[in-house]
Amino acid sequence: MQITVNGVQHEIDVEDDMPLLWVLRDELKLTGTKYGCGIAQCGVCTVHMDGLAVRACQLRAGDAQGRQITTIEGLGTPEALHAVQDAWIEHQVAQCGYCQSGQIMSVASFLKFKPNPTDEEIDFALSSNLCRCGTYPRIREAVKTAAAKLRGEV
Amino acid sequence: MKTLMKYVLLTQLCTVAVAGQALKKPDDGSISIEQGLKSWAKIYDVVSHPRCVNCHVGSDNYPMWSGPSYGKTRRHGMNINAGNSRMGVESVMCSTCHTATTSEAAHGAPGVKASWRLAPVAAAWFGKSSDEICQQLRDPNRNGNRSFEDVAAHLNHDVILHWAWQPGGKREPAPYSLDEHVNDIMSWGWAGVPCPSDSDEALTEDITNE
Repeated sequence: MQITVNGVQHEIDVEDDMPLLWVLRDELKLTGTKYGCGIAQCGVCTVHMDGLAVRACQLRAGDAQGRQITTIEGLGTPEALHAVQDAWIEHQVAQCGYCQSGQIMSVASFLKFKPNPTDEEIDFALSSNLCRCGTYPRIREAVKTAAAKLRGEV
Repeated sequence: MKTLMKYVLLTQLCTVAVAGQALKKPDDGSISIEQGLKSWAKIYDVVSHPRCVNCHVGSDNYPMWSGPSYGKTRRHGMNINAGNSRMGVESVMCSTCHTATTSEAAHGAPGVKASWRLAPVAAAWFGKSSDEICQQLRDPNRNGNRSFEDVAAHLNHDVILHWAWQPGGKREPAPYSLDEHVNDIMSWGWAGVPCPSDSDEALTEDITNE
């Protein structure tokens, strides 16, 4: 089947029901997207499908055909980081870092709908992305900074 | 009763066609209020079941987790709130985890080939009594301006509702079957959409006339 990831079309030979996460990590060697729980409870495998956050562990490869998949590797580039990535570095959010690609992908999707979120809205949006290191206070501040960057205020 | 069975059988055969085909209405009064209330009781068994009611929640927009899989009743985990959009646009889209496919894994996310979402606030059923839900379902102002035939037809074409009987994994399905549920709605409707709190006089009169 053909699958488009980060703007590049790939021809892969996998079963329709293989989770997209397996395709990304094992077939395409895009290991920035992580495996956590495998049942959509932790959020570390979050990627974008047509610009919206989805859990790659839940999405069948067959359902990703014809859609635009974006992973953390394709959100920005080293030369031109996405505003969320930029804010993450500015606030030194990561501790161990394992959950962070999922956090960033969730935030990038969330800010499309909520360009100026309140603390409560951020908490609602990010409660489904677990961080065992407890970086939530820094995540919240980084989300506000990223939102301001996307609004062109900083 | 024979008439009822005849039409129940008819609808059994024609369930799929309810939306597009006008079924022959039984003679007025041929399905008693008493029988209609029995059908309603079965309808309530379905609409109060966790597979349905967990997403028929009120204006706080919190989906619920209840039923045999969850032990005790609780709000959906991960602080999920579907927002006024009822589909999570304000924070986390339901579709982030609820994709086109049902996870068979324990506590995995179920899904259907339609947008996973909460039912409208007007159809909040969680924690409501049989009579409260009955009143809501027969009130066009609160049921999406639907006749009982429309309610039955709605069940036929909305695949998110079909999921309740085929929830996948070890999830307990809604009771009876989709066909039987549609038949019960038709029977309830043809009996005049009676509700448990309707006057006892009407019921007594109906029984006397049988």
